[in-house]
Amino acid sequence: MHLNAVDPNAGRAEAAAGAGEHAVSRRSFLRAAGFAFAGAAVAGCDRALTHRIVPTLDQPEGLTPGRALHYASTCGGCTAGCGIVAKTRDGRPIKLEGNRDHPVSRGGLCAVGQAMVLSLYDSQRLDHPTAGRERSSWADVDRTITQKLARIREERGAVRILSCSITSPTTRAVIERFLGSFADGRLVEVDALSASAILDAHLRTHGVRALPRYHFERAELIVSFDADFLGTWISPVEFTAGWRAGRVLDNHPHRMSTVVQVESRLSLTGAKADERIPVRPDEIAGLVGGLAGLVGARAGRRIVTGAPEADATLGDLADRLWRARGRALVVSGTNDAGVQAAINAVNEALGAYGTTLDIEEPSYQRRGDDSEVADLVGQMRAGRIAALLVHGCNPVYELPDALGFAEALEKVPLSVGFADRLDETTSLTSYDCPDHHPLESWDDAEPVAGVLTVTQPTVRPLRGTRALRESLTAWTGAGERRTDRDILRAHWRDHLFPRQSAHPTFDGFWDETVRQGFAVLAAERALRAFDSSREIPSPAARVGSGMALVLYPTVAMHAGQHAHSPWLHELPDPITKVVWDNYASLAPVTARSRGIEQGDIVKVTVGERRIELPAHIQPGQHPEVVAIPLGYGRMGTDRFAGIGPEWLQGRPTVERGQTVGTRAAGLAVLRDGAVQLPDVEVEVAKTRRRVNLACTQDHHQIEEPKEIGGERRPVVQELGFAAFEAGERPESHEEELRSLWPEDHPMRGHHWGMVVDLSACTGCSACVIGCQAENNVPVVGKDEVARHREMHWMRIDRYYADEAGRIETLMQPLMCQHCENAPCETVCPVLATVHSSEGLNQQVYNRCVGTRYCANNCPFKTRRFNWFDYRHEDRMENMVLNPEVTIRTRGVMEKCSMCVQRIQEAKHEARRLGTKITDGEVETACQESCPSRAIAFGDLNDPDSEVSRLRRDPRNYRALEEIEVRPSVSYLALVRPGSRGGRHG
Amino acid sequence: MTRRTVIIVVLVCLALGAVIFAQAATVRLPGNDQGYSPVQPIAYSHRLHAGELEVPCLYCHSGAEKSRHAGVPSASVCMNCHRFVTATQAQVQEEEAAARRAGRDPRPVFSPEIRKLYDALGLGTDGKRDPSKSQRAIRWTRVHHVPDFVSFDHRRHIAAGVECQSCHGDVQTMERVSQSSDLSMGWCLSCHRDSNARAKADRDPHRASTDCVVCHQ
Repeated sequence: MHLNAVDPNAGRAEAAAGAGEHAVSRRSFLRAAGFAFAGAAVAGCDRALTHRIVPTLDQPEGLTPGRALHYASTCGGCTAGCGIVAKTRDGRPIKLEGNRDHPVSRGGLCAVGQAMVLSLYDSQRLDHPTAGRERSSWADVDRTITQKLARIREERGAVRILSCSITSPTTRAVIERFLGSFADGRLVEVDALSASAILDAHLRTHGVRALPRYHFERAELIVSFDADFLGTWISPVEFTAGWRAGRVLDNHPHRMSTVVQVESRLSLTGAKADERIPVRPDEIAGLVGGLAGLVGARAGRRIVTGAPEADATLGDLADRLWRARGRALVVSGTNDAGVQAAINAVNEALGAYGTTLDIEEPSYQRRGDDSEVADLVGQMRAGRIAALLVHGCNPVYELPDALGFAEALEKVPLSVGFADRLDETTSLTSYDCPDHHPLESWDDAEPVAGVLTVTQPTVRPLRGTRALRESLTAWTGAGERRTDRDILRAHWRDHLFPRQSAHPTFDGFWDETVRQGFAVLAAERALRAFDSSREIPSPAARVGSGMALVLYPTVAMHAGQHAHSPWLHELPDPITKVVWDNYASLAPVTARSRGIEQGDIVKVTVGERRIELPAHIQPGQHPEVVAIPLGYGRMGTDRFAGIGPEWLQGRPTVERGQTVGTRAAGLAVLRDGAVQLPDVEVEVAKTRRRVNLACTQDHHQIEEPKEIGGERRPVVQELGFAAFEAGERPESHEEELRSLWPEDHPMRGHHWGMVVDLSACTGCSACVIGCQAENNVPVVGKDEVARHREMHWMRIDRYYADEAGRIETLMQPLMCQHCENAPCETVCPVLATVHSSEGLNQQVYNRCVGTRYCANNCPFKTRRFNWFDYRHEDRMENMVLNPEVTIRTRGVMEKCSMCVQRIQEAKHEARRLGTKITDGEVETACQESCPSRAIAFGDLNDPDSEVSRLRRDPRNYRALEEIEVRPSVSYLALVRPGSRGGRHG
Repeated sequence: MTRRTVIIVVLVCLALGAVIFAQAATVRLPGNDQGYSPVQPIAYSHRLHAGELEVPCLYCHSGAEKSRHAGVPSASVCMNCHRFVTATQAQVQEEEAAARRAGRDPRPVFSPEIRKLYDALGLGTDGKRDPSKSQRAIRWTRVHHVPDFVSFDHRRHIAAGVECQSCHGDVQTMERVSQSSDLSMGWCLSCHRDSNARAKADRDPHRASTDCVVCHQ
């Protein structure tokens, strides 16, 4: 990919140019045009609408209206620090893609990262600082805060900055400088999804409070205790890429790592795991202790003291781990330092340090310390904190209620937030000084040791916000004013430039780093040996009785940071397939015994606290567990009351004054210096009320018509690894079929096709959001989804195979299959869907009259009908629209076009430059976003293309081959160890 | 109903019919803007620039080669020439003669249209930025417009050697640009089909595709 070097002033002129040219939106034009046509029929002589063209007065060099520019940057969706490439058109960022060269994320970008471009255009982001919830100006805020801070300096008061993990070296330096100007200044880091115990455990075992960098690509056997590393744990894109590298089936020799997932709920990792052991959350400590004892026995030494007796399953696991030593990895998502210390001991005994995980060049993606936060709240409550600055986190919402952060905050005389809106915390602080959106700001990060990434602005700040570093610099000392870019460059010149030797000048180094988005520098490597002198006690097993509570982040919401993104709310959860709500998940047997059905409101009582949520029945979950997603119930989410169409039977997505979902973060507790799940028995009681959970699980089922039996049609094929190695292949009917259709549509030029590797797909749903962003797919709201009217062009079908009580989960991304014998085409009375000469099934919106015959005749159910004009609820979000893709109006059918606009763009460019399209030049949006590179796209007529090579792979099969529709999309059968194989539907 | 009423109604109908009949030649289908020739904020003459002075189309509309939009040039592109040319030669000579007669230095002469360009850029008569003047973008009125569900790409057509005039008409003769073709789908397709037939005869591998997605994305 060609990346554009940044011109800091370019965005300004671009924005000016873009605004004029697109002053009339497509949709408003079409609507106006409708009236105008009527008028024209009467008047018949004058032109309908006047369009303006407003060119720039002075065109910035390298900028051509209509041509996209790509800027390398860093995703700010979480602290993982994935590399992105922002595509801007006429000054507006419209699409984020993964940076293929990035050493951490390696080209993928998760659903949250994809959705960051939408949150840029959130009109509810503050346009000004606030003082006491009232509008203020930067000059006023600066004056009063500087005065107050000066007094605190004189009085030697305590100043604290409470922040999420800061991976940015420059921000750390600025904060240090700011805090250094006070007699008692400290930075306290806290993570909403805390990994505090892993860091604490390494302090115990390695003498350094750090998070190791996990190398899943080097592991052949991965045992995970409740760590959802493919879904939400620490750095899922990086870990998914690593996991994928350990499973190679399309090249010889085959590689097949094994994942054993021990967990209480069904997570994305559990769904993809090769073996899965459901347990209660409080059983994990005992299991880890038992495993440590057994691994120690294999190693011939005691690695933990007082290990409990272990059962045969663990014995087998320990044997396998010991055989795979040096290539094995044990991880745990439990936030209990005792458990994590035992995990460290096991990893040490298995020789994992230095191979599958690295503490000498650690990760900085989590730095939070929960016990420090508890101390801070204590000091706040005692009135010993003079000023508290809260950045990048929302402690009132995210921390356990038992900590009492909100009450303690009232005792702090000066509190300043930096949130982009008045949220749970900043509506209580004295000031809010909103920070830029990551796509508007300069920033840097060191997510893992030695990898320095740069964030560069892709647009001039849209709101009246100011960067955190500028604010802190302005409040430090003599009211110095420096731009964020200068602060960043100065730090890089003084501290990072000397760590490299490739570039002789700083400007050359800086320009190259900004262009490619990152720099790999010599890491500050420190030898950290395992301290074997200290005894590690086996974690105490405290297995309770009754029901146990599990709180977990979802792929879309994480801990609630993204609750203002309609895309993410409408993304079906990869496992539960529920949208626009959170719920209490119960195992089917538990629900049955209590007479609870899907959607019944249940009362969950945890000690003295109780919350009410709709019930969701979740196969695969441990029967004694109630699992509740975090991240819902965020303040201000009643804004989505206006989402979706207004019509007689329509119901609002959320009532005014209510929130989307219910907050559950408060139920956690602080135990042993870490935020943990409560260890009390949980009561789940049914109430008489029920709601309609919008769940896409049973939408668009692929089944035979009711008249001929209504059987589910098997579209997923699965093989056991051993059977595959022995030569077993997916079922094929290709030879026995004879087509009724004549072979009269040869594709002489290109024949576009796609291959999806079901072994690689984890179901993370990044592709769904990537497709939504690229193709202007609208958000329809909860009520419409409940009516099966979601508009996503691609969906991830999730199947359960129940084998002797053991749930096996299969994921299949399904989009329009671009059948060569497309059933939709034969039934369209107006020829609005026809085949192109390059094998694409074309949908022509302006010709479609909305009979919906095509959707009825589609065997894959991938067509979507516009029942309404689904406009953006927030008008500013229109700026995210991709100008290359038509906005569909009410009454027309739409579906996956295989990103034909990207194919066309590549063809235009090839024609202009007199070249040919090379394999890999055209990438579809779904393919581009995939962290595990499960999707390949290209020309089937080119025998050397990646997609042709995969078509020849022995695992290749086409869905519903037996009905001879001949899809251009094919699948590589799911192969995993421990699978019995079969076809599922 | 009286006889008089019937006669009036019939006469009115006849009159309306006559009006419609008379206009039949100019009545167009909705969406057809052939002949549209809006007044522009600056009376820029394509006849003078493209015709008489033979400035190549792509000098100003440089986007056509590399982007889907041909684009309207930035004011800075105009200034490449108009930094020096501010009025007609006759006006300049007249001023020079007047100055000579009065025994003074000639004053800069500005045609009113070029003055608008200088005003937009906030320039003084000396061609330097005048801080007392604010810059103001020029809002041209778009002449050629296809519906938003149509994706037309200039660069592909330029690369294929299509003359600008084959779609835009003889712009070099137009004082004020007007839309010469009807820009309808049938008009697009007839050209694609013709050039396909020609390419087939010439054994040229490049064909003008008639796939729907070529224009409707």
